[in-house]
Order: sequence, then C-alpha cells, then structure tokens
Amino acid sequence: MEPSSICARISSKPLNIQDAYDFVSDPAHGAVDVFIGAVRNHHEGQSVQGITYDVHEDLAKKTFEDICAEARKKWGGLKIYMAHYMGQLDVGGISVIIAVSSAHRVESFESCRYIIEELKKRSPIWKQEHYEHGLSQWLPGHSLRVAQQ
Amino acid sequence: MSEITIQVKFFGAFRKFGDSLNFSVPSGSTVAAAKTVIQKMLDGEKLVLDSVLSSHCTILQDNDILENDAELSILPPVCGG
Repeated sequence: MEPSSICARISSKPLNIQDAYDFVSDPAHGAVDVFIGAVRNHHEGQSVQGITYDVHEDLAKKTFEDICAEARKKWGGLKIYMAHYMGQLDVGGISVIIAVSSAHRVESFESCRYIIEELKKRSPIWKQEHYEHGLSQWLPGHSLRVAQQ
Repeated sequence: MSEITIQVKFFGAFRKFGDSLNFSVPSGSTVAAAKTVIQKMLDGEKLVLDSVLSSHCTILQDNDILENDAELSILPPVCGG
C-alpha cells in the first residue's frame, strides 16, 4: 500500500472539509465521495445541546487504518481520509469526515458507506449527549465482544 | 503463584467511576477472570459483561492470559460517528 493513500486521524481540533478533499484529490481519480457527520439537535424526543466524544486514541487510529486497508482491498485504488473529533461539540459541529476518491464513482460511494458503517460498529469512540437543564447520558452502542467474534 | 498488578483505564460510561482502577490478580489469570474482578470492584456493574479489555492497540479475548503487570482499558459498547 502506498503510504500516502490513507490518512486516519483523531483530532481535538475542528475537522476541516478542505483538508479531506485536498488529501484524496488525485489527477487519476474522477470521483470523490465525502461523508460528514454532525451533531443533531434532537435524539429520541429529547432536545440535544451538544455531544462529548470520548476516544481511545491509539486503538481508534489503528481501527481506522484497518478499516481503510479493508476498503482498499475490497475496492482497490482508493485514496481515503478518515477523521473523527475528540472532545465536546455544539449542535452542528462536525464529528466525523470520511472522504474517498477513486477512478469512478461506484467505488467511492460504496467504500465510503462501508467505512462509516464499520467505524460505527468497531471504533472505540463513545458519545455523551447533553440535554437541557444540565442532564447528560452516555449512549448505548455496539459491543466490541461482537465485533471481535 | 505471583501476583501481577493491572491498571484499567475507563472510557465512556465507565467514566462515572473515575479515570482508572488498579487491582492484583495471580499471574496466569485469564482476561475473563480479570473482568470478574473489575465487575466486583464496580459493585456488580452489568456494563462490564458487554465490554472488552484492550491493550494499547489490541482488543483482548476473554481466554487470553495475563502474565505480567499491564496497563489495560475497559471498552464499553461503542457509538462513534
């Protein structure tokens, strides 16, 4: 694998869409698919004020690299940028950016979807939602006991 | 049998218990046995059952053996994105 084909990051600084596009941009690639995850102002009937993202940095970065390598193996010839925020975000804040470029659009669309779904199931990242009146809760998720089987 | 010291860092919903937990188990204990100790120290916290232990870059299996002092993490179910 060319070292420049994957960028996997955990960041406590605001994520930048231009950084993602610049990384995957390639004169041989005619398609770029970008997924952006942002903090929503509601969840199951509750008004959400913001989210704190807790991350196991070393393991999350390794998981990102594993997922990217799998995507490149499945679709081939991809350039992938995968970044997740760590810390607190207000509503509208960008929590995750995945950008994939490929020669043609099908590979970009399919692999980008694969990467975000795998991130959600396998990456050691947790959300604590903050509501009105100072209430908060950690959200349930996917057990890594399942992911490792 | 010698004892080893395990430090377990907390993430996500385990943060309510602080940053980490220290305990000793006999060298050669399984990861599953260590999780049982953790659950007992956390007043029977059921979330331990759906969680895994990890080293810095590897998720451990329940039947993995702990032979030496270690810094581990306990990872509850994940929900990034």
